Amino acid sequence: MLERKLITKVLEEALTTNADFSEIFIEDKSQASASMLSSKVERVNNAKTFGIGIRVAKGFHSVYGYTNSREESDLLKLANDLAQSFPGSQEKRNVELGEMKKGSKHKIKILPASVDMKEKIALLKRADKAAREYSDVINQVMVNYQDYEQKVWIANSEGNYVHDVRVRTRLAIASVASNETSKQQGFNGPGGFYGFEFYTDVINVEEAAKEASRIAEVMLTADHAPSGKMPVVIDNGFGGVIFHEACGHSLEATSVAPGMSVFSGKKGERIASPLVTAIDDGTIENAWGSANFDDEGHPQKRRVLIKDGILNTFMVDKLNAIRMNDELTNSGRRESYRYAPTSRMTNTYIDNGESTFEEIISSTEYGLYAKKMGGGSVNPATGDFNFSVGEAYMIRDGKIAEPVKGATLIGTGADALLKVDMVGNNLLRAQGMCGSASGSIPTDVGQPTIRVSEITVGGRKAAN
Amino acid sequence: MNFDLLFAKAKEKNIQDIQVHVVADTKLDIEILKGELEEYTISDTKGLSVKGIYDGKMGTVSTEVINDEEIDFIIDSVIASAKNIDSEDEVFIYGGDSIYQEVEGLYNKELEQVDAKSKIDLVFDLEKKTLAQDKRIKMVQAFYSEVTHKVRIMNSKGLDLSKEVNSATAGVYVIATDGSDQRTGIDYIQSNVFSDFAIDEIAKEGAKRATDALGAKSIKSGDYEVVLENKASASLLAAHVNMFSAESVQKDVSLLKGKVGDKVSKELISIVDDPFMEKSPRSGSFDDEGVATKYKELVKDGKLTGFMHNLKTAKKDEVGSTGNGFRNGISSTNFYIAPGQTDFNKAISSMKKGLIISDLQGTHAGTSSVSGDFSLQASGYLVEEGKIVRPISLITVAGNYLELLKDVTEVCSDLKMNFGYIGSPSLKIKSLAIAGNE
Repeated sequence: MLERKLITKVLEEALTTNADFSEIFIEDKSQASASMLSSKVERVNNAKTFGIGIRVAKGFHSVYGYTNSREESDLLKLANDLAQSFPGSQEKRNVELGEMKKGSKHKIKILPASVDMKEKIALLKRADKAAREYSDVINQVMVNYQDYEQKVWIANSEGNYVHDVRVRTRLAIASVASNETSKQQGFNGPGGFYGFEFYTDVINVEEAAKEASRIAEVMLTADHAPSGKMPVVIDNGFGGVIFHEACGHSLEATSVAPGMSVFSGKKGERIASPLVTAIDDGTIENAWGSANFDDEGHPQKRRVLIKDGILNTFMVDKLNAIRMNDELTNSGRRESYRYAPTSRMTNTYIDNGESTFEEIISSTEYGLYAKKMGGGSVNPATGDFNFSVGEAYMIRDGKIAEPVKGATLIGTGADALLKVDMVGNNLLRAQGMCGSASGSIPTDVGQPTIRVSEITVGGRKAAN
Repeated sequence: MNFDLLFAKAKEKNIQDIQVHVVADTKLDIEILKGELEEYTISDTKGLSVKGIYDGKMGTVSTEVINDEEIDFIIDSVIASAKNIDSEDEVFIYGGDSIYQEVEGLYNKELEQVDAKSKIDLVFDLEKKTLAQDKRIKMVQAFYSEVTHKVRIMNSKGLDLSKEVNSATAGVYVIATDGSDQRTGIDYIQSNVFSDFAIDEIAKEGAKRATDALGAKSIKSGDYEVVLENKASASLLAAHVNMFSAESVQKDVSLLKGKVGDKVSKELISIVDDPFMEKSPRSGSFDDEGVATKYKELVKDGKLTGFMHNLKTAKKDEVGSTGNGFRNGISSTNFYIAPGQTDFNKAISSMKKGLIISDLQGTHAGTSSVSGDFSLQASGYLVEEGKIVRPISLITVAGNYLELLKDVTEVCSDLKMNFGYIGSPSLKIKSLAIAGNE
């Protein structure tokens, strides 16, 4: 996208003062989206993004700048402005750029740009129809389609030069069920590192839509959740968001390196129940959070974060590796050229255990069964987390009983991890968008069904 | 880009009317941590959004590649987009209003003239002063973030409007520890006048928020009288702003549908959308459709007076646009619950037993603007006989937003706007369900 010669020149210009590292990130992205409401196509949009980010560092200290311009003079000026943050004059240093490396692990069969918008719209119509036909109580359905092809070129003053193409697509369905007194929403949003073949080879559009309606219908008749401490069974798939928020973020170097995480300095120590093994794997074929390279130009990899309850590794980006004097785990990610990269999750999950789903439910006398988790957030400094539960049921006498709505799970990640007392054997991953310091990026969460012996459930009713 | 050429080519291709929206931003972000420059980011970006009416439908496209070679891509995308839309809604490219209220002080040149070094020094000072407040403060992230935002709208009906705003936020994120417990606090000031950044004040308040919360524990579950502090109330209001959008109402996803003229809260409550607020980058005399913005009380003394409209929703309801047409939808400008008379300290001292809720977490997930139900992680203080007894954490507060507005007994005078330009004073609420540890 930029000439090799110009890339080299910019990287060298950034090193004209006392800095010891420079990096350029070039992004060229095409995106298509469409949305349907009330069975009508409301909005169809194409968007082109093009921008360049330049990072200049000395040790682990860095400065960052970005622009849409690809003019040589603008880029050299930006590099020079950034270099001024590290005063001191240096002799001109040469950058020897290596061969451009390309990745090809995740095969794309049908590039979204090659598919006519009409075919994308047809998906909206199919999803809308299936969601509405599911039940009479469904009286509003919103469907969103999105695809993109993000081409990036990353080069740095150490000579590393890579090119990666990320193709992703997602279909999101929100169904609203209502009666005279209440409205409830159900959501399902499958996606992946795929082209348009995702909708024929990987998912069934109708089934995905029905799932959103099923949740909305169940929750419509649900009573308010009780409040208080109780055992909570969290189902597989999106249930993994609890690990993502409550522990995953606290294992990112962004919060570990400055000592802001509750897990800072705890490598090798027990931080979870021995039943818990947790993995962050950016190499899973065609998974939503995968890529060939991270956004610093290193090959993606698989990281065992927690092994049998013992903290094994953090997720570490290039500069934090220097800062923490720890191993780089190729975890640098960013939303776009508008963000400097930092350590982030990819596809993060709790690995399979040995219990069956039935064993977990039947051995729980009283508690909450959180079948579909909603979103949540965590304060990495305190580990305090909160999650809403999209679809929940009470467990009574070892059986799944009535549905309940409005439940929120709160606690601290460190505490919840230690209290995991059953881990199922039905690992499943689900897709989400994760927002943090370097923007909003696609990540998979995942886990088998697990039980936490005690979590505070916030609802509107006293426990009974 | 040659916009005359774009307009001419669009006409050739039977695009009835076309509008361009050009945004140019320059930004500066500074963060200091542990006495060192942790972040320094500068940027200069430009984006173009184009919409056009083709065969009665509105096609859209956006791009960051802005040159004449893109004109064909833009026109083809607008047509392709319009061809696939089957919404029957009438669409508009607006010719303009006769009067646009001038808003003063949106752009302050002096802010840009303060050099980067002075801004960095301010943040260093802010970190140092915050650390010096209390021995229990373990870490301070001090930040300064500045943006200059230029907008220009032009269309084939002859409209040509532009505005320039700038704004900065200086603040601290504080971590305090007493050895066994760790808590956080945040405080900030937003303005486009550099001398407004009173760092002593920010340092003191940020530090106090973190240290006061040390030793926080849960409480017994039950119904409590609550003073919902300004920032917490603003974050809860932010999660429910969509209720006031005519788009939500027409999509039948607003609880306020059909309630214009009805009492939706206590008389004490008025809710305002104010596009003329001083020093706010959200202020301005026109929206993205080129419609003149208006000051309006959407809730006046407890009664719902109307909704926020753009041209499309206004036409459907046979009213005028309220100038809230932003980003192809509807957004608020500066949206807040109007301040009342009660002094915050008085609201506390008159409480027999209750809670101050100073922070709510997870409002993006634990609320539903469709049902109004919320269940959120909260922290704050326990109050007995008018005095703060101890900090509390790890509780959830649950309820329904409309019921909450009806249960407000006092509105304080301490209006505070949040980062999203949504604000509230502290509110005293008769009763909220709290889930704690027993």
